[in-house]
Amino acid sequence: MLENYLPIMIFIAIGIAIGVLPVLAGFVLGPRKPDSEKLSPYECGFEAFEDSRMRFDVRYYLVAILFIIFDLEIAFLFPWAIVLDSIGMFGFIAMMIFLGILVIGFIYEWKKGALEWE
Amino acid sequence: MGFERFVFYVFAVILVYAAARVITVRNPVHAVLHLVLAFFTCAGLWLLLEAEFLAITLVLVYVGAVMVLFLFVVMMLDINVSPLREGFVKYLPMGFVVALLIFAEMFMVLGVKNFGAQAVAIPERHGADYSNTREIGNVLYTDYVYPFEIASVILLVAIIAAIALTMRRRPDTRSQDPVAQVAVRREDRVRLVKMKTEEKSG
Repeated sequence: MLENYLPIMIFIAIGIAIGVLPVLAGFVLGPRKPDSEKLSPYECGFEAFEDSRMRFDVRYYLVAILFIIFDLEIAFLFPWAIVLDSIGMFGFIAMMIFLGILVIGFIYEWKKGALEWE
Repeated sequence: MGFERFVFYVFAVILVYAAARVITVRNPVHAVLHLVLAFFTCAGLWLLLEAEFLAITLVLVYVGAVMVLFLFVVMMLDINVSPLREGFVKYLPMGFVVALLIFAEMFMVLGVKNFGAQAVAIPERHGADYSNTREIGNVLYTDYVYPFEIASVILLVAIIAAIALTMRRRPDTRSQDPVAQVAVRREDRVRLVKMKTEEKSG
């Protein structure tokens, strides 16, 4: 069963090599003369103003949470697309009800203005 | 079987290591990255168990979406970690009791009696043309259609709850209105005033 995954393993190995080799080559071949100015934190040319952690608007989370919800919805669509031939009209209508209920949520968020960025 | 067992143990060791690092490492960003590693290895274990669809879904949903949200929260949010660590010894006995209770409950449900080698037969191996996704699809939309529709209602509740909890108008923000910008005419912006020329004094 594992031999089916050989192409994926080769793919992963090549992917890791392409990711790691340039960094490694730069590390080995590049000249390094660090000084305190080069190693100091950098913010567009001037001294850093403040800590990188700060309060920020909760609506960023709203966008992320809505993305997760519709991501899950898409995860339900994959097996449905594969077996659509065998489950027939019943499975089609089941998915349409599923999507219909979620479209209610989509209309709600649209009308509520959750997708607007004021 | 030998190599497969070897792969299983490699994944298992990495998984246990990553899960332990999630709760022991000091830097919360490193903890989240170890959690990502734990999810990836867990997906590898599920691939070994021929649960391909669940493995891909784990990577897609948890690594792709949930962990991005976690990282986003941990990296940006203004949490000072050191006050959170105060009182560790004080809460230790209570935490120990809770952990013991959780372990006892999980053991009663998932213990050897219900899920041991005697209770559950070893699942048979399938060939290369066996599709786990197809098997899930065949029952999910027919036999389990009612839980499937309930899942959509739960997602709907999640959408509405997220909007109700986080949606608020910000009247103080300034934004541009492109329609008004395009539709503006010269008369709205510029006013020509006729006046006499000033005499040169002195």
